[in-house]
Amino acid sequence: MLEIRNLNISYGSKKIIKDLSFELGSREIIAVVGESGTGKTTLALSIMGLLSQQSGDASVSGEILFGETDICRIREPDLRLLRWKRISMVFQNADNILNPTMTIYQQISELTGKNRDGSSIREMLATVSFPVSRINAYPHQLSIGERQKALVAMAYILKPDLVILDEPTSSLDPDARVKIISTIKKLSRDRAVLLVTHDLGTARSLSEKTMVLYGGDIVEMGPTEKIFSGPRHPYTRGLIRSYPGMDRTKDLQGIRGKAEFIETGCPFHPRCTQSIDICRLLKPVLKEYGGLKLACHRGGIIPMLEMRDIRKSYNKNNVLESVSFKIYEGETVGLLGKSGSGKTTLARIIMGLLEKDAGEVYLEEEPVKKWDAGFYSRVQMIFQDVRSSVSHRLNILDAVMEPLVIQKKVNRTDNITAVKKVLTEVELPSDENFLYGYPHHLSGGELQRVIIARALILSPRVLIADEPTSFLDPSIQAKVLKLLNRLQEDRGLGILFITHDPGVARKVSDRILRLDEGIIKNERLN
Amino acid sequence: MHISVKDNLKRDKSARAGLAIIAVLILFSMITPFFSGNPEAFSRSIFLRPGLNNILGTNDLGQDIFSRLAHGLRTSLMVSIGVGVIATSISLLMGVSSGFIGGIYDIIVMRIIDAFLVMPSIIILILLSVFIRPATVTMIILISLLCWPEGARIIRGQTLALKEKRHIYSARTFGAKKTYILFRHIIPDLGNIIVVSFIHNARTAVFLEAGMAFIGISSITTISLGTIMHNAFKFYYLPVWLWWFLPPGILLSMILLSFTFLGNLMEKLIDPRLNNA
Repeated sequence: MLEIRNLNISYGSKKIIKDLSFELGSREIIAVVGESGTGKTTLALSIMGLLSQQSGDASVSGEILFGETDICRIREPDLRLLRWKRISMVFQNADNILNPTMTIYQQISELTGKNRDGSSIREMLATVSFPVSRINAYPHQLSIGERQKALVAMAYILKPDLVILDEPTSSLDPDARVKIISTIKKLSRDRAVLLVTHDLGTARSLSEKTMVLYGGDIVEMGPTEKIFSGPRHPYTRGLIRSYPGMDRTKDLQGIRGKAEFIETGCPFHPRCTQSIDICRLLKPVLKEYGGLKLACHRGGIIPMLEMRDIRKSYNKNNVLESVSFKIYEGETVGLLGKSGSGKTTLARIIMGLLEKDAGEVYLEEEPVKKWDAGFYSRVQMIFQDVRSSVSHRLNILDAVMEPLVIQKKVNRTDNITAVKKVLTEVELPSDENFLYGYPHHLSGGELQRVIIARALILSPRVLIADEPTSFLDPSIQAKVLKLLNRLQEDRGLGILFITHDPGVARKVSDRILRLDEGIIKNERLN
Repeated sequence: MHISVKDNLKRDKSARAGLAIIAVLILFSMITPFFSGNPEAFSRSIFLRPGLNNILGTNDLGQDIFSRLAHGLRTSLMVSIGVGVIATSISLLMGVSSGFIGGIYDIIVMRIIDAFLVMPSIIILILLSVFIRPATVTMIILISLLCWPEGARIIRGQTLALKEKRHIYSARTFGAKKTYILFRHIIPDLGNIIVVSFIHNARTAVFLEAGMAFIGISSITTISLGTIMHNAFKFYYLPVWLWWFLPPGILLSMILLSFTFLGNLMEKLIDPRLNNA
């Protein structure tokens, strides 16, 4: 039905769409999602042929094949034959799309032709649950929701082959949204739909396939359910994490930085927390990864830490029987379990503080053979009792600096700068008075931040947090949890959050595992 | 918020007193022998009362008591510090290594310590002294060999406890090697125990040395506070005890007192939590 090949669109020197190719089947609904300014609307407009005539300062190259016709190459009069009869569109911003001097009926009959009788118009308006009694109202007399419904009715009335919906639900209240989504679903049964939206809820309920656009590139594409339940691209995950869905228990997180148009390398690399050198230099191509198409040099979100079949017993008493799980980059895995269920034992095994009886620990997909400085610079732990996890002899400066000293980063001036930076990051003062104070001068919350700062100073990729807030009162606990959440957003920390409190686990975790009688069980979040 | 010796001294009266006493004693023992004459020199003027020539008078052999006191103080201080250093070092070496290494080594060391502890050390010391008649250095070595097990046992226990502390675990999770943990954490964390052990050993040594001398079984050529008291005690029926017997006794008490005061100060310097700043 619609095939786009190597589409490039730029405004002046700014490339909005870069080498985009995809296909839309005749009865397929594809959702195009992404932040504002990622080129979604530009793509929609180009398919309508509204950009192809070098209108304005946009330049379009590549092919947009609608059936046999290349929309980029046909002349305007031929385009007019296509528009609305075969390709229609619901424009974004229902406020100023409708002509203010015409009634709804007049505007729709402009499309259908004066000679048709009004019954089909009424029928269509009724289908989208537009109040038919108001058919002769002017747009300004209608609510935004009603105008939106009128626009949807307009898009479908000529039974086109392809409907482009640009944010069809953005101005609707939840009730109306649910209704219009089911209407659109009904109306779209035998036509192709390209749904352009930043509303992930709408995308999820309407589309079968989802395409995630970033910086004019497809970063991930595949079956909608698959993308929403297990996003592979860090950007997709970021989008989903910032969307306040009803089933979401973890605090909202954004994506660090802001969208910029990058000429070389992966468009997402400045904001990506797992980017490596190649991401900066080379643009990734869309490749198939287990049923999904993904443009990522690292093959999507990487597993940072993996346990395979870890076993441990004390005096023939099995504490851990075959524990296996993965922690991905930038993910919080909550580990729930009763006291004495082996949570701390597991944490100590991960950190190499305790010998395991069997099993393997993998870090970034490499088996860990030796727990050395290299391992500890990537994996850090926050111990349960904050008071005892800092030496009372060390002042704050020396305590936070200790990991650097141990890792032989011995330039004191640089180290002090690093300490100040990391203290600022955890929202603590970094003046002399604070630096040269002692742990016993600090409150529990402050000390917890010091411990977090100390764990972060080596810029680890994984943080094992063993009951990090169990000694804190609820208000300080809230602050510390928020802090961890923000640090995860900024640094892409993979966090194993060990707790016995299901409420806390729900609030911080992307996934919850339950450790019960030495076996890991997956837990539903809601 | 820095921990400075100066600030602590300013705040702590007893520490200042301790430091002052020990300074005066050391100064006294060092300077006096230069002008007070030969403590061994006999003269005919025996049992002189304190006067201009002989500040504390003379003893039964006509020797200057003041001069002998200064020399005796020297011996006491040397023995106490010597034993403090040597015995505590042995305690530390054995205790820390035993606790840190563990295993068979730990078991062997602990049995040796047990063996020492069950021996009645004072009786052994007396018996040995009777034969050896130890002079200062021998005395230091003898007392040290008898004093270390007690401290070693405490230090081992503390090392075992420290090994399981979270801040030691934390240091391990930063990639710290065993030597780092030992020298940067465990030994400094043992600081107050080491100080207590040092003071305890030093005090014991002052007592033991003076005691041996007082009952007359240390080297007769060594002048010590105990020997002076031993000699003075023979003439308890004369009023000479006032300037012959009391001054060495007072000096002994002063040494012990100043050690205690300094011990408190050291503990504060090592543990910032004891600083009520």
